[in-house]
Amino acid sequence: MFTTLIQIFSQVRYTVIAVITSAVVFTFAVWLPNFRLIIEILFNSSASSVEKTNIILSLFKSIQTNFSVVSASYTIAIAVLFGINTALIIYYIRSRQNSKLGSGTTLSAGGLVSGIFGIGCASCGTFVIGSLLSIFGASVLLTYLPFGGEEFGFLGVALLIYSSYLILKKINEPLVCNE
Amino acid sequence: MEDQTEYKDTKDNIKNDITIPAAIIIAGLLISGAVIYTNVNTQTTTTNTTQQGVVQKTGSTDDVRPVDSNDHILGNPDAPVVIVEYSDFECPFCKRFQGTMNQIMKEYGESGKVAWVYRQFPLDQLHPKNGRKVAATSECVSELAGNKVFWQFANRFFELTPSNDNTDLTTVLPKIYKDIGIDQKKVEKCVSSGKYDVHIQDDIDNAIKTGGRGTPWSIVISKSGKTFPLSGSQPYTTVKQLIEIALKEK
Repeated sequence: MFTTLIQIFSQVRYTVIAVITSAVVFTFAVWLPNFRLIIEILFNSSASSVEKTNIILSLFKSIQTNFSVVSASYTIAIAVLFGINTALIIYYIRSRQNSKLGSGTTLSAGGLVSGIFGIGCASCGTFVIGSLLSIFGASVLLTYLPFGGEEFGFLGVALLIYSSYLILKKINEPLVCNE
Repeated sequence: MEDQTEYKDTKDNIKNDITIPAAIIIAGLLISGAVIYTNVNTQTTTTNTTQQGVVQKTGSTDDVRPVDSNDHILGNPDAPVVIVEYSDFECPFCKRFQGTMNQIMKEYGESGKVAWVYRQFPLDQLHPKNGRKVAATSECVSELAGNKVFWQFANRFFELTPSNDNTDLTTVLPKIYKDIGIDQKKVEKCVSSGKYDVHIQDDIDNAIKTGGRGTPWSIVISKSGKTFPLSGSQPYTTVKQLIEIALKEK
């Protein structure tokens, strides 16, 4: 299975897909708490283009200040794993047209959603999960989570690892029917 | 053999039957989460000892309560840039941000360009044991010893405590009272009277009304009244660059 992984990522296009997807997910995670600020700076301020660029780029440093060591670790892990997952799914679809991945994609989506919940909880806040739980009147649930919602980050990593495993297993299955 | 194939096909179909709806549900959650987040009118729930599950709509940072003499202000109250911070004494990121803001005030406070306002935003869901209690203590310290001592208390508390409701208040608070020279009994009497409970709730309500969903939650206000939201413990460079932008908004 590891050989398959190496084989796939030795092709530049899949490495590029994985790197770009990881970068997008990581950027989303780091910018998530400050989307409103970014919009305000970009569209409603008299800041110069250089100032706009500088402040938006400076937000990347918040991975050190706005995340704990644990939450920064799983945020990076989720970004990298999601990139790998996406590249594997694209590889599988391209190599086996008309095939269905089923549980692999489901877990991949689940891993990302769960990870986003965890990211929200990273900075002493309840960005996404708090908002969603409040809709169901269950924000008090956070009180009972020993890690204050960071559990979703760990779950995200686990789901994405399992998802990668399932997709790789599918890739390794023989092309012919089993009959 | 044919039977076996049929059985396998049925099993696969069942598997797909389960995974497709699950994928739809997850995708729905993802989309709704994104929609909820991107629409500023997110609903946030507050929970406290008197109210449970009061749903309030978040508004804009323009809803920030005007700064007045009842606020804890560090620096020039007429400064062209005012940073209103909603903070939780038990939040580790507020502890970190306290250091950042002290650094900012060293650079911009002495020249009178920036004023820092501290407001209470204890998160009951995360710090139910100490959050509000320490907030009330700080208000009582301010009442008994004034604004300057309030800031000494805040700095000392963040300096000495481990955050996340792990603080042993029975040992830490007396030490701080001694350090800042304040009568412990008077503070305790003030806290137990509950006289600042409404004030703290007002701060929390205002934080939520302005869009605060976690701590530290800050609003940078320029001379022209333009507001910039700043969520979380952002690095010194981000805060500095935001101040420079706000200073230009005249």
